Amino acid sequence: MSIQSSNGLKSFRDILFIAAGFLVIMPVLGINRTTDFIIFSIFVMGFNILYGFMGRLSFGHMLYLGCGAYGMTLFTEHVSRNPFLAVIAGICAGVLVGAILGPIVVRTTGACFALINLAFNQIGYFLAVVAFSKYTGGEDGMSVSFSKFGFIDFSNKPFKFGFVLFCLLLTYYLLRKLTSSPYGVLIKSIKENETRVKFLGYNTFVYKWITFIISTALSAFAGALSMLNYGYVTPSFIDPSRAVEVIFAALIGGAGSLYGSIIGGVIYMAISNYLASYIPRWEMFLGFTLLIVVFRFRTGVWGYVSEKFNGRTKAMPVRTL
Amino acid sequence: MEKRNIIETKGVTIQFNGLVAVNGVDFSMMEGEAVGIIGSNGAGKTTFFNLLTGMFPPTSGAVFYDGNDITQVPPHKRVMMGMVRTFQLVSVFDSLTVVDNLILSVTRSREQQRPKGSFFFADARHPSVLKTCEEALATMGIEDKANFMTSVLSYGDKRKLEIAVALSLKPRILLLDEPFAGLGDFEIEEVSSIIRRVKENFSFIIIEHKISRIVDLVQRLSVMHEGRLIAEGVPAEVLRNPLVREVYWGKEEGLACSV
Repeated sequence: MSIQSSNGLKSFRDILFIAAGFLVIMPVLGINRTTDFIIFSIFVMGFNILYGFMGRLSFGHMLYLGCGAYGMTLFTEHVSRNPFLAVIAGICAGVLVGAILGPIVVRTTGACFALINLAFNQIGYFLAVVAFSKYTGGEDGMSVSFSKFGFIDFSNKPFKFGFVLFCLLLTYYLLRKLTSSPYGVLIKSIKENETRVKFLGYNTFVYKWITFIISTALSAFAGALSMLNYGYVTPSFIDPSRAVEVIFAALIGGAGSLYGSIIGGVIYMAISNYLASYIPRWEMFLGFTLLIVVFRFRTGVWGYVSEKFNGRTKAMPVRTL
Repeated sequence: MEKRNIIETKGVTIQFNGLVAVNGVDFSMMEGEAVGIIGSNGAGKTTFFNLLTGMFPPTSGAVFYDGNDITQVPPHKRVMMGMVRTFQLVSVFDSLTVVDNLILSVTRSREQQRPKGSFFFADARHPSVLKTCEEALATMGIEDKANFMTSVLSYGDKRKLEIAVALSLKPRILLLDEPFAGLGDFEIEEVSSIIRRVKENFSFIIIEHKISRIVDLVQRLSVMHEGRLIAEGVPAEVLRNPLVREVYWGKEEGLACSV
């Protein structure tokens, strides 16, 4: 008997693979779109750690994306125009909101969890668009600008692309490390049977809270990177009606898989970017895609592919039983 | 050295919307003792376990562990104190592999030896962790299934896995909730011989329907009926108790039955 251990080399190989993938599609899709896709993929990964790994489906993840976007914008407006500090400020906004809302949100499961997130998203939307419109620009939004230091210039598209890709790889590496640690086993176990995990001696509440914060922080990270990319914040970055996008992307790619998140993000963005220019009501097509995924590919595109790919080696012990 | 009570309850009672599931139970056991709890369905055995392990707090009464009041202590802290349980419906993680099922408990029990932060960033399948996992599986005789998905295991193997998980937490007291339920005769023999082999290392309480299966495993037997503890003592003595015979086998049969 040999029990495989996941090693560092494997994750290094994966990182090269992802980087190569995006460099290949970059000339096809164009650098702007690819940058956009990469940012969305980070958002999907942040969402998926909560949904795919821990089994908590949120209908309000735009709030956390919006926190990053608004947090960063307000930071550049009032504190410093240093883009790196601003991104960190955006992430901090996500961590803060996650830490505050976490104890309320993670007590719940299922539909309640989904809707409580949606409720907070609605509140956040109202605060950003109406209550604090003096600071956020309300419906009109506001622009963001950054200072330049030598070659660090976020109006330079290739530089922006490189930076965003680096962020994606960093996120992937971090999540890869987290999900293959005992903590990763813990959150997958919580997904299946939380009570049992408590009786293994773990305070599940704390770990759920931590996972929630990781998710909100990564979503905010994606929001902040969107600001680097667009340079303009609008209420659409915190609009709860867009929360479904990230859910679709996670389902299409495959919940509970980091690769799946990236693939789902790219596929969703490709559908919404390209189909929209050919078919006016492209959302219907998206609906059909989702139906096919739900009925035929329960584990998403990546789940299906990896099953096919690993089918022989993985299924062997099952058959010899 | 004087042995003291590892577990003691004083008048624990729990009500669910008027239904009194456990009613004023005073129970105690010494360190190193092996106690069986028997009783018919709905007698409150599992609910009593839930109260002991902290699944929910009692409506009234108190639970003591090692002399300390733990009535309000959450379950995970009780596990850290050495109170480990299994569940009536076998409860393992189907979506993980067999060996991954053991990672959390093994990591938990060796926490002190590991550097901080390793829980989040170290490889879950660290060779030293895997070695302990394999040993735990070997104890139960299922080491050859380590890489299988748990969902494909038979019910008996899942039960063995669950016990392996419980043992790897290094319990001071192990609470087994109907460990033989749903197993075949051969598997029952296997599991009970494993329990017999390892039981010297800890105290344990075992819930069971069929008295004959545990009578040689335990030193003491407690009988529950309708939420109350109606008899306690050495197995042979308890089984002679007319009240026990009446509630357990019914009036007429009780007289005819022998163990």
